[in-house]
Order: sequence, then C-alpha cells, then structure tokens
Amino acid sequence: MFETVIGLEVHVQLNTKSKIFCSCPTSFAEHQNKNTCPTCLGLPGALPVLNKEAVKKAMSFGYAVNATINKRSIFNRKSYFYPDSPKAYQISQFDIPIVENGELYIETPKHGTKRVGITRAHLEADAGKNIHDGAVSKVDLNRADTPLLEIVSEPDMRSSDEAVEYLKKLHSIVRYLDISDANMQEGSFRCDVNVSIRPKGSEEFGTRVEIKNINSFRFVKQAIEYEVERQIEAWEDGVYEDEVWQETRLFDVNKGITKSMRGKEDSADYRYFPDPDLRPVIVTDDMLEEAKHIPELPDEKVERYVNKLGIKRDDALVITAFKEMAYYFEDMIAGGAKAKTAVTWLTSELLGRLKKAGIDIQNSPIDATTLGKLTMRVDDGTISGKGGKEILDYMMENDARDIDTIIEELGLKQVSDDGAILAIIDEVLSANSDKVEEYKSGKDKLFGFFVGQVMKASKGSANPAKVNQLLKERLS
Amino acid sequence: MHIDEEILKKLEKLSHLRIDESKKEEVIGQLSEILEYVENLKELDTEHLDSFFSTLPGNTPVREDIPSNDPSIPKEILENAPQSEDDFFIVPAIIE
Ligand SMILES: [Zn+2]
Repeated sequence: MFETVIGLEVHVQLNTKSKIFCSCPTSFAEHQNKNTCPTCLGLPGALPVLNKEAVKKAMSFGYAVNATINKRSIFNRKSYFYPDSPKAYQISQFDIPIVENGELYIETPKHGTKRVGITRAHLEADAGKNIHDGAVSKVDLNRADTPLLEIVSEPDMRSSDEAVEYLKKLHSIVRYLDISDANMQEGSFRCDVNVSIRPKGSEEFGTRVEIKNINSFRFVKQAIEYEVERQIEAWEDGVYEDEVWQETRLFDVNKGITKSMRGKEDSADYRYFPDPDLRPVIVTDDMLEEAKHIPELPDEKVERYVNKLGIKRDDALVITAFKEMAYYFEDMIAGGAKAKTAVTWLTSELLGRLKKAGIDIQNSPIDATTLGKLTMRVDDGTISGKGGKEILDYMMENDARDIDTIIEELGLKQVSDDGAILAIIDEVLSANSDKVEEYKSGKDKLFGFFVGQVMKASKGSANPAKVNQLLKERLS
Repeated sequence: MHIDEEILKKLEKLSHLRIDESKKEEVIGQLSEILEYVENLKELDTEHLDSFFSTLPGNTPVREDIPSNDPSIPKEILENAPQSEDDFFIVPAIIE
C-alpha cells in the first residue's frame, strides 16, 4: 500500500491598482504593452520602487492564516532567460519571505478537520505573456511586474480530495480578504502541484514531481490521480528510479495525463542573490496595524453561525464557502429573517433555481432583502411554504419584488383567522357526521381525511398548522 | 574554483552567450583572474552577517498604490525595439 504526499504552490495575483515596482496600471485585457514603462520593461537605469499596498495585502494574508509576519524581508533576483521576462531575472523573495509558518484548516470526510501547514508566502513580480505565431513569438508585457503572492504549503495533503479542499479554502480566504480576484480562468489564481508516493508507514519522502500551472480544481484532481497512478505503476514494475525523477511535468487537459517537459534535462540554475536595487523591506508598526484589519473569515463565520444563530455545521460550511453567499445570508438575517428559515430558502430553494438558470449568487435576480422578506412571510404564516416557492418562481420570471403585493396578486394569502377556518371545519364535520362518529369511536386515521377536506374546501388557502390545531380542538 | 572548457560551456548556456572557439582560452584566463580576485573576499569574516547586510543603511522606500503611466513611452520603446509589430515585441519563435 502506498501513501500519496502532496504539497501545493499557489500564485495569487494581488489586486493592487498599480504594479509591484512601478506605477503602471494592472488593468486586465488592455491593448498590448500599453501598461508598461522603462521599469517593467527592464530598461537600463530604471529603478524599482515597492508598492506599499502589495506589502499590506501580503501581511493581511499572513494574519488570516496565523502566520509569522517578518518585519524584515528581502527581495532576490532569480535569473532566467525567457522573452516574457525583460529583465532576464524575476524579483522574488527567496532568503527571507514576508510571511512564514502559517496554517489553514480543511474538512475531510475521514479525519474531520485537518490542519495544513503553510510554509511561506512571498511577494514576487509576474512575467509577461508570449503569443506563439508561426516563425515568431509576440511579446506583451502588460502583466510583467504585476504583484504576485506565492503561497507554499507543507507536504501535508494525502489525497487529491484533500488537495482540492486546501485550494478551495485558500481561494475562499483570499476572496474574503479581497486581496485578489482569484479567477482561475483569467490566471489570477494559478496552481502548481508537488506529488510523490511512499510505502505506507515510511517516514522518508519519495521523489517529488511538480505539475505546473493547472487552472481548475477539477484538473488538479485529475492531474494528481494520474500522476500517483504513474508513480505507483513504476514502483510496482521495478522501474521507479528510471521513470520517476525530480522534474516538472505539464497536465494535458485533453488526454488527462501529465507529460514531461522536453528540453529541461539541465536543472535550472537560478543564481539567487539579493537585489541590489532594493534594500530590505522593513514594515513599520503602522503598516502592521493596518494589515491586521481583516474581515471575518470562513472558520470564524462557521463558529458564529453554529453557536449564535443555531444552524447546522454542514449548512454553515456550505454558506461560508463563498463570501458572496455568506454576505447574502447575513443580509437576510440583518433584514429580520430567521436563521434556520433563511438557510433553507437560500441553500435549497434559491440556489437550486439559480443553478438551473446558470446564475451565480452574486448575480442573483432576487436580492437578500427580498428573499428575507419572503421567509418572514412564511414564518409568520401569511403564506405557506408552497406559496413561497410559487412566489420565488414568479420572481425568477418577473420584475416585481414587493413580496406583500405579489402575495395579494397571486392570491396566496393563507387564511389564519380562527373564525374563518372554524366555519369551514364545522361545514366539513357536519357534512361527514358518519365519519365523525367513526373517528370518535377510535378510528384515529380519519384525522388526515378531515384535514384534507378542510384544505380542499378552503381551496388550499387555509394555514395547515391552524387547521390541525383547530380540528383537534373541535374533535376532542 | 577552476574554470575549464566544461564550466565555460555551462556558463555559455546559462548566459545565452556564445564564445567563439578562438576566444575560449582568453576568456577562460580572464574568468580565472576574476575568480582569483573574488577569492580574496573570502578572507573577510562574514559569520555574523545575515542576508540583510548592505553597505547602504535603511529600508527600501515604498510608494502609494496610485496607477499612472504615459502610453507614449512604451510606443517610443517599441519603435526602438529590434523588432516590433502591432505594438508587440517580436522575438524568434519559442517552443514550449
Ligand atoms: Zn511599469
């Protein structure tokens, strides 16, 4: 039996307005090379000046994952030649990163809540983009020197599912902190996976293979599963030493396999050294204080929802997974909705309908206040649950949003008035006096029949809870 | 460290430079001289210094996150590039 060992490196593009070492805008999808200047184009004599906001965002992340913030950190040069890097080196933190020794917690089906260590998070500059075009490559350096936070985990994950859970949690934290758009398709949340295997019980790590630049959670899972199988097969066939070596592989999304990158036999020599253009980063107490102001994060929200609002832990996990959903839920509560009712109407009724329509919660055509109001009308008995669903369907198709007006218009108001319901009950009971006799002589099952008859006579408008209560009283 | 043909070959590769066969011996001589000079630095006691050591005092200055740029500058740079087209820098094809 083998054990899988996984570590993850995630490159998060920080959502600052300007680049990390120059004032060029970071706006996405601009005309090629429009957002460039002598500094990010690596022209001789141009000097980098560090963006304070990038430092702050990195520190906020550190606080969010209980990490050590290094008040002093340094930038190094990592040398490599590629046309997307006009300086011929990348500025990155190597010796001393700004953030070290953090952690986050994931939910696992087997082991409950599990801690995953975060080795470090460091600031660095992104590269530009190459577009391959026949005999030439076209270089667009708009993205060059955009700030990145590289977040490196400990090799603490033991399955592809744990790796995906870690990524989802990290993604969620980054989004709550609002330090990145974290859009995997657009490349603002990129992920490299380190995978190795070892016989169960062994303390020693196997040979680590890196799979680069995977752009969806699903592909991460597939890539890991393929790679683990490849390595186990090699071990079992006695060719582990020959077929598994420390290398970088690419995931082929079409074939679902990982492939060795050709032409990389020579392991790169990055010749790291402190960047002489950038003195050490020393953060002031003021900067630290500012970075400490972070919003409530998913773990704290789950605790609060469970302990203060009395909702189920599993529901709390679903709601807090995305900040948009958590904020929607909190807006419902702030508007006066009851937590438990809000959970049901948000997670099953609204989400079900949005999913069907292919809409995200942040683009929901029904806002939190409106859905909250709807749940309040269900809770106070004005409408039935069935009526509520009808209103929800109606709002998905129509622009009307005033719940009380819609209730009137659709005629969904429940009759909760004792007198009106009693009148119907008496009518039903006198029309079925034979059954009343049978009931009184012990045929309890007939109670359901009476309820049905009353509901039918009221054309479904009677409040079922009221009908039950009043019928019991009348028949006793 | 002794510079030989093997190391020179690796350095050529790392630096993306090609040294002409006729120049190799001369370059090896020069590089060896430079390394010998650097050897002298080893006499310094650096035990107590960390990566922060710099001959310049203080920290790197920081700037506020305010975007600004002048699009005419990249235009001018592109015009002076060895090859450019449609505001892209053009380089020989790269095979990934
Ligand atoms: Zn720039």
